Amino acid sequence: MSANTARCPMGHGTTELPEQAESRPTHVGGVQHSGAKEVPVVNWLQPAQLLADPYGSYARLRTEAPVAWVPMLNKFLVTSYAGCHEIEQDQSIFNANVSGSTMNRAIGAHPMLRKDDPEHATDRLAVNPVLRPKNIKEAWAEVFARNADIYLDELEDVGPDNADLNRDYAAPLAAKNLGDLVGLKDVDVQTVRTWSHDFIAGIGNVLDDPEIWRRCEASTEQADALINELIPHYQLHPNASMLSAWANSGLPDANIAANVKLSISGGMNEPQHMVTNIVWALSNHPDQREQVLADPTGWTAVFDEAVRWLSPIGMYPRETTVDTVLEGVRIPAGSGIAVVVAAANHDPAQFGENAEDFDISRPKKSHLAFGAGVHLCAGHWAAKSAIGQIAVPKAYERFPGLRIEESRPGQWAGWVFRGLTSLPVTWN
Amino acid sequence: MPSITFTQPDGTAQRLEVEQGTTLMRAAVSNGIDGIVGECGGQAMCATCHVYIRPEYADALPELGADEDEMLDCTAAERTERSRLGCQISTGASLPEIIVDIPAGQV
Ligand code: HEM
Ligand code: HEM
Ligand code: FES
Repeated sequence: MSANTARCPMGHGTTELPEQAESRPTHVGGVQHSGAKEVPVVNWLQPAQLLADPYGSYARLRTEAPVAWVPMLNKFLVTSYAGCHEIEQDQSIFNANVSGSTMNRAIGAHPMLRKDDPEHATDRLAVNPVLRPKNIKEAWAEVFARNADIYLDELEDVGPDNADLNRDYAAPLAAKNLGDLVGLKDVDVQTVRTWSHDFIAGIGNVLDDPEIWRRCEASTEQADALINELIPHYQLHPNASMLSAWANSGLPDANIAANVKLSISGGMNEPQHMVTNIVWALSNHPDQREQVLADPTGWTAVFDEAVRWLSPIGMYPRETTVDTVLEGVRIPAGSGIAVVVAAANHDPAQFGENAEDFDISRPKKSHLAFGAGVHLCAGHWAAKSAIGQIAVPKAYERFPGLRIEESRPGQWAGWVFRGLTSLPVTWN
Repeated sequence: MPSITFTQPDGTAQRLEVEQGTTLMRAAVSNGIDGIVGECGGQAMCATCHVYIRPEYADALPELGADEDEMLDCTAAERTERSRLGCQISTGASLPEIIVDIPAGQV
């Protein structure tokens, strides 16, 4: 059944192709489609291709079947901008409380990302004030800048012949920024990284690998112990961090802990990937690099275009609560939906004929790299500031001529979460 | 039913009749009114539901909240004394009709 045919979209070293099981979407919810439009079934997706570079497959899906049943993933894949956008407009039909969610086991209770309003709002509204642009600018921009300097020094020590922008800068900086913003106090960068990776692995542990659960539970135990200490601490000594806001919100400790762990899982890899994505994009478009270096007001557009063009979260899941029709395709209640925002973000219907190009001067249009609707990324202003305004511009200031080192090629991986696992760079 | 009129920068106007309590943002988004994005679903977290309120309705509006005030500093189009977030304004008994102008850009 689907449990055997499903593959983690991350690949995890599996090179064999999953069986192309003849499952039909009607099996998902048991609903018959008498008289309904034939549901497009896509069996041609190649996991290896998706992991190496998914954008060709996305283009074909968008053209041939923007809402398609994909037996291999046991989900409907939605790849058009219009389809993804419509999903975000109605959380009562397209629910984020995905059933059997590994996320709930991985990080305990129900984090807000697996809730819908009004329960979601209670958790989320408490932390929004921390993450609005004003608090980010007044309380955090200085911290993000100081952190960037620390790791720029380390990058400089490694030197232009051996530097890896991911290993030596993006990864430790993203973990440090996140630890500070969440309010983990003295937890070191390596521990933040370990927790984040263990939680993410748990969230993806659909095959119930006991070793993954063991590591996830060990990290959960450590994080919970710290959070339980920090809640009373922040009640006495409030500051501008997320944990402080939650500690003083009156929410039950279990909710707070789940949301802190969600933020640790969701707030590290994506900013990390955006540092390398931007340098990769600008290295491959030297004219646009010169343009932004000459006019630093362009950094806002650079971040926005890079997060559209190379979205660090390629897809996220939803589940239908009722029988519904999306873009003319009938979807039964209880179906798994993959909202493939990376594909929507290259849709010519939204971004024009040059949607596949990196172009910092393109007309401004909304994209879905941070999701949309009530689950719109809580950390989007933080990421725009920490990465778009601070980490990347500072790196170009420190290292004139910063660029990809072609003789040591970097490595892309993943489609659900996509980023560079290494990016060797050099400078003048 | 309360009514909301959205006026585009080019002057064309669309009038909607909506349920009591519907926010300007929700009304615009569910009816496909161009120029209102509502990216954060109404949490005062995105400022993509920016509208200019016609002065004759100013007194009928709820007070500007601190969150809303903060986010209005982040609008794509210029903030004026008529600026509000469409997601923070609901129609209802105290606001049976309203006319708003849509700014030139939201992102
Ligand atoms: C050996 C380890 C792992 C195995 C065997 C595994 C297996 C799976 C399987 C079978 C699915 C279900 C695909 C589907 O039908 O929807 C899945 C989903 C997923 N995996 Fe993996 N996974 C592993 C580790 C990871 C890691 C380390 C990550 C993140 C870095 C990850 C991220 C995800 C995500 C985001 C999903 C989609 C979850 C959802 O639809 O809610 N997985 N995984
Ligand atoms: C460029 C960087 C980032 C990207 C591309 C990104 C992307 C996303 C996306 C697509 C979602 C929606 C997922 C869904 O609807 O299922 C999301 C949600 C979320 N993100 Fe981010 N994120 C980034 C940075 C951050 C940071 C720095 C934090 C930490 C403060 C963070 C915390 C969260 C949280 C807590 C949620 C859940 C929001 C909710 O359920 O209401 N993210 N993010
Ligand atoms: S919809 Fe986001 S601020 Fe109004």
